[in-house]
Amino acid sequence: MRFWQLFVRSLKETCRDVIALGFVLAFPLIFMLVLGAAFGDTSPSYTIGVIDNDNSQVSQGFIDEVLPAVPTFEIETLDDPDAALEALRQGDLRAYMVLPEGFGQQVSQVLQGADGNIELDITYDESDLQVSGQIVSTIDTVTRTFAGIDIPITINANPINIETEITNIDFIGPGIIIFGLLIMIPTSGRLMLRDKESRFLHRMLTTPARPWEFIASYSLSMVFIAVAQIVIFILLGRMFGMDIIGSVWLAFAVFLLTAICSIGIGMVVASLSKSENQGESLSWLFSMPLAILSGVWFSSEFMPSYIRTFADIFPFSHAVEAARTVITRGAGFEAISGDFFFLCGWAAVVFVIGTILFSRTMRS
Amino acid sequence: MTAEDSGLNREPDDSFAIQTFDLHKQFGDLVAVDNVNLDIKKGELLAFLGPNGAGKTTTISMLCCLLKPTSGTARIMGYDINKEPYRVKEVIGVSPQDTTLSEHLNSRENLHLVSHLHQIEPKKLKTWSQLMLEKMGLADRAKDQVRRFSGGMKRRLSIAMALIHDPDIIFLDEPTLGLDPQARRAVWDYIARLKGEKTILLTTHYMEEADFLADRIGIIDEGKIVALGTAIDLKTDMIDTHTMVIHAWNITQKMIIEMRHRYDKVEISNGTITISDKKVDFKEIVDRLHDANVTIRSAYIKEPTLEDVFLNITGKELRE
Repeated sequence: MRFWQLFVRSLKETCRDVIALGFVLAFPLIFMLVLGAAFGDTSPSYTIGVIDNDNSQVSQGFIDEVLPAVPTFEIETLDDPDAALEALRQGDLRAYMVLPEGFGQQVSQVLQGADGNIELDITYDESDLQVSGQIVSTIDTVTRTFAGIDIPITINANPINIETEITNIDFIGPGIIIFGLLIMIPTSGRLMLRDKESRFLHRMLTTPARPWEFIASYSLSMVFIAVAQIVIFILLGRMFGMDIIGSVWLAFAVFLLTAICSIGIGMVVASLSKSENQGESLSWLFSMPLAILSGVWFSSEFMPSYIRTFADIFPFSHAVEAARTVITRGAGFEAISGDFFFLCGWAAVVFVIGTILFSRTMRS
Repeated sequence: MTAEDSGLNREPDDSFAIQTFDLHKQFGDLVAVDNVNLDIKKGELLAFLGPNGAGKTTTISMLCCLLKPTSGTARIMGYDINKEPYRVKEVIGVSPQDTTLSEHLNSRENLHLVSHLHQIEPKKLKTWSQLMLEKMGLADRAKDQVRRFSGGMKRRLSIAMALIHDPDIIFLDEPTLGLDPQARRAVWDYIARLKGEKTILLTTHYMEEADFLADRIGIIDEGKIVALGTAIDLKTDMIDTHTMVIHAWNITQKMIIEMRHRYDKVEISNGTITISDKKVDFKEIVDRLHDANVTIRSAYIKEPTLEDVFLNITGKELRE
């Protein structure tokens, strides 16, 4: 098969170019080491105020047992919303939440399989982007875990309901990995652009090989690199204390699909670009804002809805959500199937577009 | 002699390896190839001679299906470049102007890559690649990555990659560009051995190369084939002025004045007289010089070169 020969050649070119390969593989290593060291061991403390308007056994259990189990939280119980707001303004609290009347009943109903949702009011300083994002995500995760038990609330009745290992790295880990895979956009098109610039690709285009065979061969060689990157990311994440509560294989599949989407976008950019410099500049210009908008670093919940809608067009916000759902919430395939199939669809579409663009631009 | 008749008057003829029909390529307002009509016989080696930017590479790029013509078309071994590009690609071998190789592969791997893309049988491939490496003098470096090769070695490998799948037609775009005289001569010898076996379209801006290798030469300028024929035809048909060069002592002013009355152009420099005219009679000039007591050290009729032909047709130097 022509495709296979082109793939073998791409893989050999990539693996024998020690500097380029070193960059591609060392990048996640350095990235994870730096961020893991920065966020892995340190557990910053956030003072969170809680106002209990429900005063039920469930709400008490939630306040006394579940929230304090989060190592980064210091829980302060309050009665008056005005006092809580003042404390937030003074900086004594990083956020405060209100458990509404009927909270315990809501939890019980949800646990018994009834439709509905649990509502919590959380107030925090919107400008405190990173912290507020993490706090919101943490409370969200803890509450979901809390409501996920199968029997009526009796605190400590089920170890699942007390998530003791939620740390910074658990939250930022999936984001770091998605970011690492997102920046495969600039790196994946490099070989094709080099071949274009050196005109080796033109020579290959005088053979009977078809456009899809070129795109597929360049991409598959990068998928191999991506697999190595994902393994490095996961191992280092584990080293720094990132717990994968759900299936490792499901998390791996989400990461692999994310990498394939990045590689596909890289192929589109490389097909449109004339030189390595042009391609890389275009890729960075595209991938960095996308990383921020996709909630890689900060929760996208604080962003205006139109930005979230825009970010949701691209695969990476779905990838972040799916990865966090599997890694920190232990969810199975059903919970992430929407995001999973969205990623599959994106991967398929982007490769079709890449192939069409490649064949059009290569014989203009 | 000029290029072939207008494409409109010509019928496709499968006895030709390459036929172009008003082949035209325009980049914006720039006309790179201007309605070229050309027939190349099977087994013929035709050289496109012209300066940089004349349209040689653009023409080859269209024939290799790398560029779409703005208008017109061409047939390669009977296949239309616009309608059957992949059939065309099956029967051609290309050595581009830049020695483009996969730098981290070794020479055997580069050959195998092209062969696999042309789906050559593995048995043949092994024999052919070894044979090709030996012919090109690369057998002892077969396992070295080509990024460590010299320019001459890369060029030889590039030509080998154009030949490895035994194509009917070979396009050699400036095959000796940047090579030292010894390496250039080696490449010429190899190309000369292929003459008659393969149809070869070669581009060059070295007139010696075209003169030495080509069955026919197409002089191309500003996208047009301005002259087409054998080297001898071009020199005899296109040059109507003959030149005689005499190295002599005791040349007198009187003698020079007399010569200038008789011939169109007479120049003298450092004891060398150069006489040019439509008719130059060697014996008559030698006798006149003897009679005027001029001592002749040597005298000869200068053969016209392709450079002269190019200058005569385009009014420009070939290397401009």
